[in-house]
Amino acid sequence: MRSKLVVAAVLWVVVAAACSGDDGDTLRIYTSVTQGTVDSVVEGFGLLNPDATIEVFRAPTGELAGRIAAERRAGGLGADVLWLTDPLSMQQYSGDGLLRAWQPASAASLPEEFRTETFWGTRILTMVVVVGDGITPPATWLDLTDPRFEGRIAFPDPGFAGSSFAVLGYFAATDGYGLDFYQALSDNGAVQLNAPGEVVTGVAEGRFEAGITLRFSAQNAVDNGSPLSIVWPEDGAISLYSPIAVSATSNDVGAAEGFVEYVLSRDAQERIAATGWQPISQEVPWEVEGLQVTVDWVDLFDHQAELLGAYREVFGG
Amino acid sequence: MVDQLVSRLSAPRLWGWVVVVVVASAAVGFPLFDLGREVIGAGSSAALEVLGGDGAWSPIVNTIWTSSLVTVLTLSGATAVAVATGGFSARRRLLVLVAMASPLLVPPFVSALSWVAAYGPGGLIDDGIGISLPWLIGPVGVVILLVVNAMPIAYLIVNAAIRSRGERDLVRAARVCGATSLRAFWTITMPLLRPALLASGAITFIMSANAFGVPVVLGTPARFPTATTRLYQDLVLSADPAAFDRVLVLAAFLGIMTLVVVGVADMSNRDPIRLRTEPSGPRLDSSDAGRGAAMAVAVYFGVTAAVPIVALVMTSFTRGVGLAPFPPNWTFDNFREAFASGAGSAFATSLTLAVVAASVVLLLGGLLVALERRRRTGVGTVAALAFAVPGSVVAVAVLLAYGPWLRDTVLIILVAYVAKFWALGHRPIAGSADAISPELSGAARVSGAGALTAVRTITVPLLRPALAAAWLIVFMFALHEITISSLLYGPGSATLAVTVLNLRQLGDPTVTAALAVLLTAGVGATAIPIVALSRRSGVFR
Repeated sequence: MRSKLVVAAVLWVVVAAACSGDDGDTLRIYTSVTQGTVDSVVEGFGLLNPDATIEVFRAPTGELAGRIAAERRAGGLGADVLWLTDPLSMQQYSGDGLLRAWQPASAASLPEEFRTETFWGTRILTMVVVVGDGITPPATWLDLTDPRFEGRIAFPDPGFAGSSFAVLGYFAATDGYGLDFYQALSDNGAVQLNAPGEVVTGVAEGRFEAGITLRFSAQNAVDNGSPLSIVWPEDGAISLYSPIAVSATSNDVGAAEGFVEYVLSRDAQERIAATGWQPISQEVPWEVEGLQVTVDWVDLFDHQAELLGAYREVFGG
Repeated sequence: MVDQLVSRLSAPRLWGWVVVVVVASAAVGFPLFDLGREVIGAGSSAALEVLGGDGAWSPIVNTIWTSSLVTVLTLSGATAVAVATGGFSARRRLLVLVAMASPLLVPPFVSALSWVAAYGPGGLIDDGIGISLPWLIGPVGVVILLVVNAMPIAYLIVNAAIRSRGERDLVRAARVCGATSLRAFWTITMPLLRPALLASGAITFIMSANAFGVPVVLGTPARFPTATTRLYQDLVLSADPAAFDRVLVLAAFLGIMTLVVVGVADMSNRDPIRLRTEPSGPRLDSSDAGRGAAMAVAVYFGVTAAVPIVALVMTSFTRGVGLAPFPPNWTFDNFREAFASGAGSAFATSLTLAVVAASVVLLLGGLLVALERRRRTGVGTVAALAFAVPGSVVAVAVLLAYGPWLRDTVLIILVAYVAKFWALGHRPIAGSADAISPELSGAARVSGAGALTAVRTITVPLLRPALAAAWLIVFMFALHEITISSLLYGPGSATLAVTVLNLRQLGDPTVTAALAVLLTAGVGATAIPIVALSRRSGVFR
């Protein structure tokens, strides 16, 4: 008797689970942007469009890319809007014809380097140096190769983190650094960690004296009272942008385009700024603490595999 | 042909096979078939790139040697503890079981982080008494943490097998006849434990080969890549179809490698020695040797469970990373944040998934073991394939197979869990069942019992420790699972791990620690009544 009840309960759960699928006619957003930022922007969009139903799938870059790759091969991309962390994957999707070509009215005011035919920048991510309390900060990136930091620097693996790949791309293409800079870091015992957050943790816990990481992650730790501070290298913190696009196969192009327009609007840009990210729109006030330099993504995209291969020659694997 | 086959099978057996084959094909066969088609579609150029490129073999070689070493160390440790404490009284044995199984409470994705927080430079022990273990970062740390993660399962399987058989009487007989205790161990205990050792060895090897959290935290900083960390790097780049092909090829390679290892283990277990009787004599009461074993278990518990869990709890109450875990820096914010956006319903989803997955896997595993009593069919070996493939790729495979129909449902996560964890449920049961003599239930049948009555009154009671261990293992793994669900979840089917880790990217240890503490508390609240109830009914007696 008891076993029959158990079987019945299991069946009930299975059936209930099977019936809880989506009911179509909703705007689906796939994103790797931080949850707080997505939540705030989606909330703002909902206030202006009370009838809209929005579903957000948020996952780390690897899982998101895996899901999109699987969907492309079976059943088709399930997203109406893609909102990613770095332009690299977006460029690939654009080249493969996955993205809709159009021009948002609100993109007109964006600087040219944040605009393409199919996707647009929504916020700016910046890679800076963090140092633990009591450590004399390095003035430039090259100072990280100074012997006083030997074995005490950490940075995210460019093979895991798009933001770290941007750093690799910038140095590789910039005179005076090149891959020699990474060789010098390696000779100085620099340690590659997985994600920018791990670099912050390692420096805060005193395992490392300095690190290369996202300003956002470092700022969060500083706000929570962690014993570290942010340093903008004199030769420029390295920035990249977080792109958004409409899927070419979206069932509801109107709503999808409306969402992208909204993300680029002043209201959403203010929300993005309020969650701690530098807005792409220059109309929203944001204090940049130092020089920002950036990467030529079109050029970088063509050299992706080559660059990672060269990096691994230096940093093992 | 089919008629002959059907007429040779009794009706319950036939239906049993139908259930097993249908579920195995649906959960494991179909998705892996789709995956295989993609791998073949990827062609030889992708295979060449993965297996023929510069330095392509070093991650694979690292995976093979660490997994082999971890398997040897884990089996030695688990067997030593299970044998040395086998003579303990029921209460002390339960204590040993709790001590050995409790590292399971720490989710694998935070175990490496909690060890670094406990023993690394600037960690809890370093702050307290100034000792840290720098070699924790690197191959040594990877091997140790993988052993710690696999030990509870290996111990549960070996211990359940020892409990399920009457080796004690035989050992005593051998000793009376003048055999040394070492000789009695090699000639009696070891042969009898062979099925359990093969079962736990297979699981340990597979778990280590597809582990990701440990090598990524402890291996990457030491420039020590494994197959799984390399695979994840390609997954990150998988907007490029060529990189996605490399993911699939590498996953297929891991799967085939496992199939070979597990296949050899299964083949060498063709004729397990079966005992005719349950143990009858009194237990050997614990002696000085037993006291030594108890001490060793207590130290092991302190090092592998207590200190890391304390480090986790302290981190979870700390305001910011790197602050000393003292009252001025204490906060509940990490828990408030973890509870903020629908963590309650997410915990319900996680708990439901874990209970259903563990129960389905237990039923299927038990059924398969019952069906394979007379002859092995290889279904068990193949079912281990999905366990061997990293979680992200299992999720991709299930999405390829069922995405068009089941996308975003809890059911698609459940299918992936059943596929992934089948081996975890099946192997412990098989490891114990192999040593139970079929003559016992045969005797029951001769005395007039029906087939189901014989199973209910003879086989299940004998297998109870193994069944309980299998259920517990799958339940814990499903509850902690993060990769599969973060790739497959949809609106309303987010698991607790997904919800909390989405709030902050992995890497913010305070919120991650709060999640681990919540999960541990949740498991404690669920497990204590279960253990109490099953103790009364004799599962852990």
